[in-house]
Amino acid sequence: MNKNSVKIHELMISRGTFFCYAGPLSEEVLTSITKVVKDQLADSESAVSIRNKVFSIFVEQAQNIIRYSGSRVDQSGVGSVSISNTDAGFLLEAINEIETTDEARVCKVLAELKAMDPSQLKAAYRERIKSGPPQGSVGAGLGFIEIARRSSRFDFSFEEHNGAKLFIYRGWVDLAP
Amino acid sequence: MIIAATSRTPEIIFSEHNCSIKGECYPENISEFSKPFMEKLASSLAQSESYKVDIEMYYFNSSSAKLFFDVFDLLDGLAAQHKQVEVVWRYREDDDTMLEAGEEFQEDLQHLKFIVESVD
Repeated sequence: MNKNSVKIHELMISRGTFFCYAGPLSEEVLTSITKVVKDQLADSESAVSIRNKVFSIFVEQAQNIIRYSGSRVDQSGVGSVSISNTDAGFLLEAINEIETTDEARVCKVLAELKAMDPSQLKAAYRERIKSGPPQGSVGAGLGFIEIARRSSRFDFSFEEHNGAKLFIYRGWVDLAP
Repeated sequence: MIIAATSRTPEIIFSEHNCSIKGECYPENISEFSKPFMEKLASSLAQSESYKVDIEMYYFNSSSAKLFFDVFDLLDGLAAQHKQVEVVWRYREDDDTMLEAGEEFQEDLQHLKFIVESVD
């Protein structure tokens, strides 16, 4: 047991992880943790524009988990969100189980966004905001585009884990443009 | 009429010819938030000859972006019918995100007077 405690301590310290939440995420939980994240970002003394980017990616990632995680407890989606310091800036990681039926769709959307430059992302955003959310979306359907626009870069992968499929979604915000 | 701010929603003040929105917007439930707001805005607009919306945001999430878009779309339609409507979008001087957000909304409008200006 002690071994695991040391392991998580070491891992978080070595990765510069200053915030991590793992478990059932609801809007109520998000309300509480955003206060902490905001304070931590304010303490980081990075520019307002950088803090805004990190904060908005954090909220969009958390709301993705709340709404779409394949593993659920009542109204909550189970998953983890974390924010780490990197040499270049910040890394935001969101991990949750995903229904195998959703994997192909999410993969296609994110692969398309990943291939876009900023002006194409802007066009995709305007197109989506005008046309309204796609079927099955409970928000505006803008979250993935928002993350792509606010991050310096992002990646995603899907991994088999204990008989379920995990969706690993990472975004970086670099301090230098 | 004043709708008090919460940690995730802005303060909204409706007066006779004006609506002022200030703060952050990422409500727990966007439709629960947007429906009464849109209804109140529509009835205020119907009762006034001229109308101004003052907005000073610090952060809003993507679901709320859609709400703002819908508000401006409504106002743009009224402006097209020669109603006196105006929006002032204020951003804090060092907040590029909110400046760009205002400019992007502005780009999609045809008739509405939409002013983007900084506050200290």
